[in-house]
Amino acid sequence: MGLIENIKSFSIIENLSAEKNGLFQSFLANGFPTIKQEDWKYTSLKKIVANDFSVEGNGVTVSEEDIKKYSLGLQHKIVFCGGNLISKPSIDGVSISAFSEFESQNKDAISVLNSSLAKKGFTIKIAKNTVVENPIEILFFTSTKQDNFVQYRNNIDVGENSQIKFVERIQNLSDSKCFVNHFTQINIRKNAKVEYNKIQDNNENAILIDNMNLYQQQDSSVIVNTLIFGGAFTRNNLNFEQNGSNCDSNMNGISILDNNQFADNHTFMDHKQPHCRSNEMYKGIYLGDSKGVFNGKIMVRPDAQKIDAFQSNNNLLLSENATIDSKPQLEIYADDVKCSHGCTIGQLDDDALFYMRSRGIREKEAKAVLTYAFASEAVNNFTIAEVKKLAQKRIAEKLHVDLDFNL
Amino acid sequence: MISIKNLKAGIEDNLILKGINLEVKAGEVHAIMGPNGSGKSTLACVIAGKEDYQVQEGTIDFEGEDLLELSPEERAHIGVFLSFQYPVEIPGISVSNFIKTSINERRKAKELDPIPAPELLKMMREKMELLNIKKGYLSRNMNEGFSGGEKKRNEIFQMAMLEPKLAILDETDSGLDIDTLRIVANGVNKIKTKDNAIIVITHYQRLLDYIVPDFVHVLHNGRIIKSGSKELAHELEEKGYDWITKEADKKWA
Repeated sequence: MGLIENIKSFSIIENLSAEKNGLFQSFLANGFPTIKQEDWKYTSLKKIVANDFSVEGNGVTVSEEDIKKYSLGLQHKIVFCGGNLISKPSIDGVSISAFSEFESQNKDAISVLNSSLAKKGFTIKIAKNTVVENPIEILFFTSTKQDNFVQYRNNIDVGENSQIKFVERIQNLSDSKCFVNHFTQINIRKNAKVEYNKIQDNNENAILIDNMNLYQQQDSSVIVNTLIFGGAFTRNNLNFEQNGSNCDSNMNGISILDNNQFADNHTFMDHKQPHCRSNEMYKGIYLGDSKGVFNGKIMVRPDAQKIDAFQSNNNLLLSENATIDSKPQLEIYADDVKCSHGCTIGQLDDDALFYMRSRGIREKEAKAVLTYAFASEAVNNFTIAEVKKLAQKRIAEKLHVDLDFNL
Repeated sequence: MISIKNLKAGIEDNLILKGINLEVKAGEVHAIMGPNGSGKSTLACVIAGKEDYQVQEGTIDFEGEDLLELSPEERAHIGVFLSFQYPVEIPGISVSNFIKTSINERRKAKELDPIPAPELLKMMREKMELLNIKKGYLSRNMNEGFSGGEKKRNEIFQMAMLEPKLAILDETDSGLDIDTLRIVANGVNKIKTKDNAIIVITHYQRLLDYIVPDFVHVLHNGRIIKSGSKELAHELEEKGYDWITKEADKKWA
């Protein structure tokens, strides 16, 4: 049986409230998105949803070694095992608990499915004027014998003048397929600062659809870094909404894919207020038969005067069979704004390659150094040393070189 | 050190080098002069191993090794260095990281461990002093936004760090003001020992006032048509190339 049938059976056991059932029925009306929809034109879920996934399967244990292996070794850790919160740090001004209900505005099928059925995930509240120096690691482990579909639904509320950083990783520990529908909503109140790092380095049986909404109030500043190294299929929907003046929104993305990996970054930057800034930089490196998609939309509403928005998407195709579909979109309804975007698709520069080889750097290593140089503009924006180091290590590993890019 | 015999090379069907013979011994400085399009840079690129050029005939022996059988990086590992006429900008890699990687790649080829950081830094400081290079330079991206003079100085800095046996300086003087020219030339002279050799490719006598050659060769239409002592460079500066090239053209017509 396909995923939809299994989800239907699951929903019956769940005994949904009228409201949730309404949402679920609206999901069922059209089912999973298909390539006929503009937002999914290059991203097909057809083969994935044909799998006989069990829904919200149990039976997970996670060992200390697993945690150690997949953690960056940061001081604060939130650990989920099969969707259950198994450990959390105690930090002044920060309350961390398991899933609790919240509403979301998203109308797309995947988000609606999440809001109708998801019951696992975290709720984090940061009191106002709380500055958390050390970043918080959030680890989600899954490991079921059968192929499995799971949904997490997370909510973060960052109080006025507070500052916090997160590093998130979803890890499948089994050889079965795991399809995660991940939904995270973050409210960033006045003058708060948030950084969220997504380490998407799952195994080759992992499928991820990650939706993140960020609602910013005035004077707030947000950075979201998306690092895609692993996983079979990854789709990110990253939505920023500026609801006050003088907001900063930053997105840095680095993807390095090989074999048959697929990754799609969909971003939506909604400028609704004046005197705000947004800066978006996505770098993609494609090897083997990998495939990438980038769709970045910047919306500048009529009230969003004097904003400064920048978007870039640069791609390096390192094999004959790798492909990238890139689509920048600008929609501007205000007249006094600075808006620019750029998209490039290219290969390594032969002259630079010869230059390096003439200095004794072997061809494979020279290619790796040039590839890293290409990515470094985004990597250098990573503020957490452990995240930057991981990126450097994984890029070297994926290019099969033993080089330390850090000096 | 290097012995080039009857070297014929070009790009696709276009033969640029039409039989070069050149012998350079350790401790020597050779200048190769010649008009535009005579094949000077092609010769430099063929020695360094640029794959765009195909060698059709001839041999290059470097200390007993058949250079033409080696990749560009292997040539660098055994001590060949080319200072580029147009050094390439590599955004995203700092000068120090680039040089560290070059040195360690060569050490790896010789089965040596990576150079210890303090040793590398000490060496960098010494060589920077040699070329009047300021400290902040090491963290700048490789050649990115460098002036012409800075790029050439960076080439010689790499030469100083890599300590090659044979350095080929391809128009290192072009784009340099007289002060920078002097600094760069002095740097080269300090690197020069009785055990290494330099081939200087230039249009002008000017550089040869500072880096004094033991031999001067005139390259024209893919052949060395005249060789002599450093006085030949002075003669060329006065009379131009016409007087020799015309004679040669008659001979090869």
